[in-house]
Amino acid sequence: MTTLLALLPVLVPALCAVAHFAAGHRRGPAKAALPWLLVGSAAVLLGDAIVLAALVLTDGPVVAAGGLLRADALSVFMLVVIAAVALLSGLATPAHLAAERAAGRAGTRTAARYCALVQLFVASMAAAVLAADLGVLWVAVEGTTIVTAFLVGVHRSRAAVEAAWKYVVICSAGIALALLGLVLLHYAAHRAGTGAGLDWAALVLTAPTLDPGVTRLAVVLLIIGFGTKAGLAPLHAWLPDAHSQAPAPVSALMSGVLLSVAFYAVLRTKVIADLAVGPEFAQALLLASALASLAVAASLLIAQRDYKRMLAYSSIEHMGLLALGAAIGGPAAIAAVLLHVLGHGLVKSVLFVGAGRLLQIRGTSRIAEVRGLAADQPVLAGCLGAGVLALIGMPPFSIFASELGIARAGFAAGSAPLAWATAIALVLVLVIAAAMVNHTSRMLLGEPGPRPEPSGGTTLTRTASQLAASTGTALIGGLVLAAALGITAGPLAGLLDAATRTLTGGTP
Amino acid sequence: MSDTAYVQLLNLTAGAVLLCAVLVLWRRELAVIIRLFAAQGVALAALIAVLAWHEGSPELAVLAAGVAVLRAGVLPAVLRRALGTAREGTEPVREVRPVVNVAASLLAAALLTLLAFAVSRPIVELAPSPATQAVPIGMAVVLIGFFVLVTRRRAVSHLVGFLLMDNGITAVGFLTTAGIGLIVEVGVALDVLLALLVLQVLTGRMREAFGNTDLDELRELHD
Amino acid sequence: MTDSTTLGLVGGLLQAVVIVAGAPLLVGLMRQVRARMEGRVGAGIRQPWRDLRKQFRKEPITPRGTSEVFRAAPVAMVAITLVVAAIAPFVTAASPLPGVADLFVVVALLATGTVAIALAGIDTGTAFGGMGASRETTILALVEPTALVAIFALSVRAGSTNLSAIVDSTLAEPSAVLSPAALLAAAALVLVIVAETGRLPVDNPATHLELTMVHEAMVLEYAGPDLALIELGSAMRSAVYLGLLANLFVPWGIATEAGVLALLVGVVAFVVKVGVLGAALAAAEVFLAKVRLFRVPELLAGSFLLALLAVTASYVLA
Repeated sequence: MTTLLALLPVLVPALCAVAHFAAGHRRGPAKAALPWLLVGSAAVLLGDAIVLAALVLTDGPVVAAGGLLRADALSVFMLVVIAAVALLSGLATPAHLAAERAAGRAGTRTAARYCALVQLFVASMAAAVLAADLGVLWVAVEGTTIVTAFLVGVHRSRAAVEAAWKYVVICSAGIALALLGLVLLHYAAHRAGTGAGLDWAALVLTAPTLDPGVTRLAVVLLIIGFGTKAGLAPLHAWLPDAHSQAPAPVSALMSGVLLSVAFYAVLRTKVIADLAVGPEFAQALLLASALASLAVAASLLIAQRDYKRMLAYSSIEHMGLLALGAAIGGPAAIAAVLLHVLGHGLVKSVLFVGAGRLLQIRGTSRIAEVRGLAADQPVLAGCLGAGVLALIGMPPFSIFASELGIARAGFAAGSAPLAWATAIALVLVLVIAAAMVNHTSRMLLGEPGPRPEPSGGTTLTRTASQLAASTGTALIGGLVLAAALGITAGPLAGLLDAATRTLTGGTP
Repeated sequence: MSDTAYVQLLNLTAGAVLLCAVLVLWRRELAVIIRLFAAQGVALAALIAVLAWHEGSPELAVLAAGVAVLRAGVLPAVLRRALGTAREGTEPVREVRPVVNVAASLLAAALLTLLAFAVSRPIVELAPSPATQAVPIGMAVVLIGFFVLVTRRRAVSHLVGFLLMDNGITAVGFLTTAGIGLIVEVGVALDVLLALLVLQVLTGRMREAFGNTDLDELRELHD
Repeated sequence: MTDSTTLGLVGGLLQAVVIVAGAPLLVGLMRQVRARMEGRVGAGIRQPWRDLRKQFRKEPITPRGTSEVFRAAPVAMVAITLVVAAIAPFVTAASPLPGVADLFVVVALLATGTVAIALAGIDTGTAFGGMGASRETTILALVEPTALVAIFALSVRAGSTNLSAIVDSTLAEPSAVLSPAALLAAAALVLVIVAETGRLPVDNPATHLELTMVHEAMVLEYAGPDLALIELGSAMRSAVYLGLLANLFVPWGIATEAGVLALLVGVVAFVVKVGVLGAALAAAEVFLAKVRLFRVPELLAGSFLLALLAVTASYVLA
């Protein structure tokens, strides 16, 4: 029973992917309903995560599949994030695909392949967070790169091919460094003679016996490697390209959870690093990377001309904040980091779905060419506006609470470098907030200009430019959830608490 | 096998792995670069075979055979396919103008080797043995692969750079602990193969969209 | 007088004689091999000696406006090369001046010979002389670090940079020749020797086109006995370099004890080794084209890298 529960998050999307592939090669009425399968599998995932959460909170970690899978509170929390964002992205997919088909950019075959790849994407993310063995985690994270490569390059335009190429090359090279780190970690564990292998829980128990010299090297490589995939500077160059070129629901998934899943690997690494070589080492690395990411995001957001790239750079900013929180460490900061992961996932996916819709309606992703959206599309404009406000950390949304938590923990840690770093980070966050509000208000407010022809040549009919009910549900639902989280963690509080304890030296 | 023969064979195969990486940096013809990569695959498989022989481990011998098939057979074949269509077109089949010229990149490779030697010291000191003493060579191959990835302008060179990194990591893995578990090993191999296939398809698309595979053409996306 | 000193004195004298007498024959052999492989009859291996004899009989003549440097350079080069020929282990492992038979000393001496000729080239004040000298010094500057590093790699194993010690340690432990360090150093040294002796693909010794010349451009103004000295000196340098390469990596046959038979074996082994190497070099040249001067740094950077890898390997690998 528990084995099945742990396997479901991987199996269900994988089986759905097979169904999509099959449907793509078959003619019949069934294929119209297939995009909804994305919503179905995400809902199953969410239900499964909730059951697992109850199980893990009462009985402790669940081990399955011969020790390959292991669900502790942190994995289950990440599973919840994946499921929630997959649900939002899934809800937006049918309308997105319908509009693409109407514009002649996608056939049935392409749509089926698209859905199948998204399902595989979700499956590999679920496998990554459920993996007990760091090696399996690595394989799953690299797997996400492979399945999303074609999702990024789905349009086959010059820009899309370029984005896909950079994405795969930079991420694969970065993640290769992480593999080298794993090899060295395995070597250190092998020499310690505890038989821990790459099993995370066993490594945490035996971490003090690991050779500090080799472990230090391994930790550097792991943080750089997984940091690449999480979009942390200095290897972030792929992120704005990939996120701006991918179709909106995929961008939502990539920005909302894929980055966090990679960051989850960094968090797991940090636990081992702290025990083996002392907390200062990983702290310094993460701090440097956090400030670099924030600086990159701030400098490139000020004069940003493309709204999808604006959202992508905002993702780099938020990954930087996560790294800052992880560097600070301690229960308060880690709890805030985890809450931030969820809040950012929800809000960013809402914004990417909204931006994708905007791109379909207006046919341009240039900020300067979008004017007066509020008069034209009040719901979409309202959601985008509220989303950006949530993103820059306005109450009542949960990002406000989590950023506040990280900042407070930073100043309370009682170390001068941390306090300075937090202060610098806050200044950069303010700069970013001003830039984003400025860009967004120019898009939303003002007189609507003459409506340009959408790309693809065909003028959208009145019905096509309306917001589909499912997409609207996703947009508003995501924002409402984020706002609710900002007020109270509610039923998630227990899980959040247990996940924090997993990372801060409670029983793993 | 006697100890001195083991050490000598180990060093020779490890040296051959590094030499192939250096020659990749030296030569310009893409076809030759692919051949050198295949040769490195053979040397790597031989290295693992030597380890298998020394430890009398049939599992390692099987892995050596697997490495030989994948890295000396399958991956070069995929690379040749990525290059294949280029030969028919007007596209040059050489690395015409690398970002860093060949002489400077050879000197850089020398520095990278020293760097690899320096950073590997804790690894060697943890358990000095003939095998771990060869670890810096694997590290050097990783760094040279990264260097190829950063400084070359042709799509195929990028692929080879990525695969050089992977070969180096595999070498480090086997030299330190005789592999990191069968399941992970197979998963890694599969991931590498799939990533290469994805990149090969993307190379084809790049040729469709841009007319060639010169990565200098990739400048649509910027801020 | 100890046994080793006797051997050193006798052997040193012997190998100097062998090299002076044999070097032009080596050049003749290499030309003959090339000629045969290119389908020509060739002039025979004694032709360089005949040329030298003819040149030596001519009246000495120097261009107007040249200084003493021009006249002293050929003598200096031959003298320096002769010193190396006497002290390095070619026929015997012992040396008449054991302290000087050091790798760094030998490399520095040979480089001094090159510098002497380069100075003479500049001294003529002609365009080609200056051009040749500038090219030669460029190549020298690139080759010298490689040579030193490659040699250093060899000395790590012996624990000394003394040539005799290195040869002895190779004799004592033959399997070390097949170590990565030794093989990489050998590859690097081959490139160094090709560059230093002005062979293809760095320089074309048979060229008649002034613009592509390196070594030949510097000595264009020489005639008569001076030219003969330069030719002899160049031939000796080739023999010395090939002899060093041969004995550093394949020292077998070298005389380790004083005795007529041992010395005879040493001479024969040395002649055979150098002859085979020279013939192989000449045969390889048939298949090579001269690389453009701009590509030469690439070649030499490559050899430097090989040498550095050799050093690293000799330290890192067991």
